[in-house]
Amino acid sequence: MIELRHITKRFNGVAALEDVSLEVKPGERLALIGENGAGKSSLMNVLYGLYQPDQGEVCFDGQVVKVKTPAEALARGVGMVHQHFTLVPTLTVTENVVLGHEPTKAGRLDLVRARKEVDDTCAKFGFQLDTGAVVRELSVGSQQKVEIVKALHRGVKTLILDEPTAVLTPQEADELFAVTRRLSDEGLAVVLISHKLKEVMAFSTRIAVMRRGKKVAEVVPGETSPEHLAQLMISLSSRERGEGRGEGPNQAPPSSGAVPDQPLTRPPATLSPLPQGEGTLQLTHLTAQGLHDLTLTLHPGEILGIAGVDGNGQRELAEVLTGLRPWTSGTLTFEHAPITRWTPHLARAHGVTHIPEDRLRRALITDLTVEENVSLGRHTQPPFAKGPLIDFPGRRALTTSLLETNDVRPRDPQLRAGGLSGGNQQKLVVGRELDSNPKVLIVVQPTRGLDIAAVAAVRAQLFTQRARGCAVLLISLDLDEVLELSDRVLVMYAGRITGEFTRAQFDERVLGRRMLGVVDA
Amino acid sequence: MRKALPSILSVISAILICFIAAGLTRDFGTALDAFTAMLWGAFGDWPKFLETGAATAILRPLGEAGTKAAILTFTGLSVAVAFRVGLFNIGAQGQLAVGALAAAVVGAKLEAPGFLHITLCLAAAALGGALYALLPAILKLKRGVHEVISTIMLNWVAVSLIDNWLVIGPLRAAASGDNSISGTDQIHATAELPRLLGDSSRLNLGLVLAGVAALATWLFLTRFTRGFEWKAIGLSQDAARASGIDVDRGFLEAMLLAGAFAGLGGAVLILGTELKYPATLGAPWGFDGIAMALIGQGHPLGVLAVSTLFGGLRAGGTRMQLFGVHKSFPELMQGLALLLVAAKLMWERLLRTRGTP
Repeated sequence: MIELRHITKRFNGVAALEDVSLEVKPGERLALIGENGAGKSSLMNVLYGLYQPDQGEVCFDGQVVKVKTPAEALARGVGMVHQHFTLVPTLTVTENVVLGHEPTKAGRLDLVRARKEVDDTCAKFGFQLDTGAVVRELSVGSQQKVEIVKALHRGVKTLILDEPTAVLTPQEADELFAVTRRLSDEGLAVVLISHKLKEVMAFSTRIAVMRRGKKVAEVVPGETSPEHLAQLMISLSSRERGEGRGEGPNQAPPSSGAVPDQPLTRPPATLSPLPQGEGTLQLTHLTAQGLHDLTLTLHPGEILGIAGVDGNGQRELAEVLTGLRPWTSGTLTFEHAPITRWTPHLARAHGVTHIPEDRLRRALITDLTVEENVSLGRHTQPPFAKGPLIDFPGRRALTTSLLETNDVRPRDPQLRAGGLSGGNQQKLVVGRELDSNPKVLIVVQPTRGLDIAAVAAVRAQLFTQRARGCAVLLISLDLDEVLELSDRVLVMYAGRITGEFTRAQFDERVLGRRMLGVVDA
Repeated sequence: MRKALPSILSVISAILICFIAAGLTRDFGTALDAFTAMLWGAFGDWPKFLETGAATAILRPLGEAGTKAAILTFTGLSVAVAFRVGLFNIGAQGQLAVGALAAAVVGAKLEAPGFLHITLCLAAAALGGALYALLPAILKLKRGVHEVISTIMLNWVAVSLIDNWLVIGPLRAAASGDNSISGTDQIHATAELPRLLGDSSRLNLGLVLAGVAALATWLFLTRFTRGFEWKAIGLSQDAARASGIDVDRGFLEAMLLAGAFAGLGGAVLILGTELKYPATLGAPWGFDGIAMALIGQGHPLGVLAVSTLFGGLRAGGTRMQLFGVHKSFPELMQGLALLLVAAKLMWERLLRTRGTP
């Protein structure tokens, strides 16, 4: 049994964890839930030896132990599977699993024995994995299994899974939960870090709720409901007081879709439509690198969702639409006129803007100031420019109001953009793109890594744009998010569109099968 | 100002280290004499002037320092503007040689009245340097050739073409009488850069041009939207491209300007001091430009300041020989300063621990 006793951890004086105590017992499935920045990951990082607590202690079977590195944690039987996998894509499953403690014969790597041992581990816990396969060629779900097998192969007794379902289809998630159930039957303790209440209810034998660095409740699934858990997670009273819920340096790994179980009010579409035909974007039999024969129409005043497992052409689609990727055949039509030349500059000139997936790579330049970043893309137009010159007062004025309306903190136009927290960076990007009153908005993973308040703000803004008559294309890996926000959903698999669903036809199971490329008979 | 601190401290440390090295190898009295001589040689022999009242004691050193500073500023700006878009222009040396040759040819073969002739020579040099820098830019955009490789190699292409062929072959000066003359024909008097301080000092218009160029570059980079685009490209090509900035155009423009600056450096060398393309260009001005840009942290005014300092120290360095200290000490200081600036993290850590305990 593992006990975390009165753990406190501060980053630059901000408490990420405050006097948190938690027990992890063999054979249980413990869910650790809370908003982003609530301290779930920080607490597990203390147990895994990544962080040293400022106060408090970690006990293994009643014995106080200082866990200084993940290697020490592993030696004590604690394994952690992070959201971002730590596999070598060009090595085989076996090679990845034994990496770091390879069996040798006369000083030479004994891959035959290694493969046999890994096969044994798989068989023991009921994993079906081709241990000779190259990891690069496995699906995300299988890669996650490899990560788990890697931990199990080292004789782990406690397995921590950090937001494991964020990258999985519903079917793959079900399989994962079946696996964890087998593990707990074998006597292992499994800790699930999550903020998806549905899966927590289905998965766990015990639920610990964290809020703002403190453990606020411990419940068993039979005695609670998703609504109750949501209430515990979000301190409504603190929100009403308007306290800044700072995202500390301990930010949880990016994840999507917080509390999707909460019903969201969908405002009616198209309150003030644009003139007929404006903002209509069409692809006809378009083929590009990574995309095959796409035909789709994006209408003004709708949110068109793209569902799919990561790496099935969503990124390429966004790049084609925003002028970052050329296409080899087919046509792109904007407002019923075929487009021959399409660059990011022309796309913007036509009113097509982009909230990219990777804000640090494509949307923001971290070494520029906040106001310079706000001007990026419109820097040659008023109020950012007067002729060829930069309009410094104009830029400052617009930035100041943009920070205010989008609640970007701190409200400092001269701060380096890299000095903002992830959530505030995203608010800045969203605010900037919407400020140009786009006709078409290409949004990729807009709520990734945001806390609940920020997620709600971003989603509300998407609805506002839709009401304005903006055509919104929403690409997200979080199926819940896509289903919640979209008026219509296209499923992508292997660079093709494998299904189209209107709101009335939404069915997670059917969509999930299409996402895996299974076409119903 | 705070950002300039690492550069200033690096230069001071470099000078101190060299002083100690000179002191240990000779003795500290000699070192002090030699370094004082260097200082007078760099920025005017004020004690001698006060003693004798001879203005040349100040004007002549200032002339030598100023001409060197002007060339260093131009090649430093060349490297700095390419840096702004994230390109490393190692080719300032070749671009300078092409510019120098262009200025020498136009200055010698063409006849035109006063300022027009100078303007034509400068324009030819800028154009020559720019076109020579266009080559690596096109190679990068069309074929993905890394600019470090292509600019380095094009330096040797330029040297081979110019020094080893044109200047000793087709463009060699006609022998006058029995004397065979090395280098190209002498430029016409109309093409010479006017001297600013009379005949006793070689200080010429070149330094003014360099100062104007540095100031104009600074204004362009900080006040103009195009300058902002260059900065964005230099910091993140991906984000710049995604926001609609034409990254390729930025590369082209910056390389053209870089080449033009290096070419102008060559023109100032020819029109100000050499008065013809000599058998060999002497100092590796283009490579020194890299040091100027790095120590000046890519800031145009920083480049101007650093070039002025090292132009002076190099001019004064010759006087160290009188005390048995080798004249290459200023270059040693430059190299050390460059190393210390490159140890940027060290300064950041030192300055931070002082600032906030």
